[in-house]
Amino acid sequence: MPVRIGARVRLTRYLALAAVILVLLLAAGALDSAFAQAGPLGAIRPPPAEGVTGWLLAKQALFYRALSGLIRAAKTDGSAYWGLMGISFVYGIFHAAGPGHGKAVISSYLLANEETWRRGIALSFASALLQALTAVLLVAIAAVLIGATAKMMGDTVRVIELVSYTLIVLLGARLLWVKGRGFLHTLHRVRSGPEAAAAAAADHAHHVHAAQPDCHRHDHAHHDHADHAHGHQHDADEEEDVLPWGHAHGPEPEELAGPGGWRRGLSAIVAVGVRPCSGAIIVLVFALAQGLFLAGIASTFVMGLGTAITVATIATLAVAAKAIAKRFAVARAGYGSLMLRGVEVGAALAVMMFGVLMLTGTMASERMGMF
Amino acid sequence: MIHRFVSVMAGLACLVAATGRADAHPHVWVTMTEELLYAADGSVTAVRHAWTFDDMFSAFATQGLEQKTKGTFTREELAPLAKVNVESLKDYAYFTYAKVDGKRRKDAFLDPIDYYLDYDPKETVLTLHFTLPFKTPVKAKALEIEVYDPEFFIDFGFAEKDPVRLVSAPAQCTAAVEKPHDDNFPITLRLDQAFQTSEANIGMGANFANRIAVKCP
Repeated sequence: MPVRIGARVRLTRYLALAAVILVLLLAAGALDSAFAQAGPLGAIRPPPAEGVTGWLLAKQALFYRALSGLIRAAKTDGSAYWGLMGISFVYGIFHAAGPGHGKAVISSYLLANEETWRRGIALSFASALLQALTAVLLVAIAAVLIGATAKMMGDTVRVIELVSYTLIVLLGARLLWVKGRGFLHTLHRVRSGPEAAAAAAADHAHHVHAAQPDCHRHDHAHHDHADHAHGHQHDADEEEDVLPWGHAHGPEPEELAGPGGWRRGLSAIVAVGVRPCSGAIIVLVFALAQGLFLAGIASTFVMGLGTAITVATIATLAVAAKAIAKRFAVARAGYGSLMLRGVEVGAALAVMMFGVLMLTGTMASERMGMF
Repeated sequence: MIHRFVSVMAGLACLVAATGRADAHPHVWVTMTEELLYAADGSVTAVRHAWTFDDMFSAFATQGLEQKTKGTFTREELAPLAKVNVESLKDYAYFTYAKVDGKRRKDAFLDPIDYYLDYDPKETVLTLHFTLPFKTPVKAKALEIEVYDPEFFIDFGFAEKDPVRLVSAPAQCTAAVEKPHDDNFPITLRLDQAFQTSEANIGMGANFANRIAVKCP
């Protein structure tokens, strides 16, 4: 590759600068939304919810309020069930715009990993439906079986939230560890010269394998599985993580059904999906009080379906954007790789930060407690 | 090439940042009636709140409570819940903010007294009554009381009829109520009765807080 050295150096600087800017942007974006919510009571007023956000909030509130009327109506009028399901669905679509439905975490997770749009959609649906299931199970066990009070349910949700946010932090930390190493590795290659960089792009698989003996994906098939079994779940992720692209065989659709395929995304699904939506819990308890618990359950799952559609749309956008970025990157051999890895590190950092911010209560989430 | 790459990446970052924004819609609606209590010397000693919750939240809040008669709750049965309510409200500064002669007074209130919950079996709604005494009674030309939830989880709105009453106030004192105006919520879209009475300021958050302005010239 006859490329002028000066141009190369400048390019590297650009890329490094761009990576830094990206990480800062990600951080600033997360912090900005955190601070917007964090005003001490009465001291700082949050910015007005106008424009698209205001409209979204108004629609959500409208549909949410409509649910109570429709559940009441369903008691006497069977046709109201259709309205209830319709409004639940639309509410779910709009409601996913609110916090706590995993758009940010799932999108960042997808950016940090080499994932297909199919997997993005699968992750979105699985986490949204798990979220609905958690809400239904919580109300079924707490309210129906035990006869727990609202306060007890609120306390339970708070514990679940802590678990969820901790899982998100751990997920992000692990991604950051794996991606950070990958980034440094590539950086090292790129620094050691254009030839090495070009070689790195073509030849990375072997080097990485040599450097990280516990991540040998290709050898799995030939090895006795027994001696991997204990660490398999972790390895499954890291195999993909360490070799995010340029990989001869990225996750094929059929791999999704395989044992490793699902397990790979499971951590993200659980981290996001374990936390029930407070709106769903209130609707479920209201339906229960009206003697229409089954209608409440159906409504919750239909809501989850709506939520899944929104989250999946955003997730697909993230995957598509990364695919475009990758196309640019591939044309740039080692430097493009470095850039993409920078993006992945940024996304991994974002996942961890979302978790930390929610865990510390800096980033407002849907409130459950108080009463 | 690089510029395009960078702009794609910037776009990605914005996407993630935008999706990270946390804006929850209100989950609880409160219709409030307020009273300002005056001492004989013309100073305001306390704010007495009566907050009626929407039916969905009322059902949630009363879940699992013991009741002698199905479909209703007595004040005694609701007493433990009322205690939990006012204790939790402390963390939120009772959503009540005072401004004396244009200056915000922080930490203006003592712990609530005379608190209880009522249940209206016909409307199936709870009303929380509580009185917030001022730490030091306020004798001012202009007193403003605002009630709002900065996180907008609770949407406060004044009752349609007589939302504010001045109790034993000097004759020259007048109270004006500022309700938030909401373009996002045309009346035709209001779907149930609770909406109509709550004057929901949906989509506006704290920016259009409910304000009681009392002037005693």
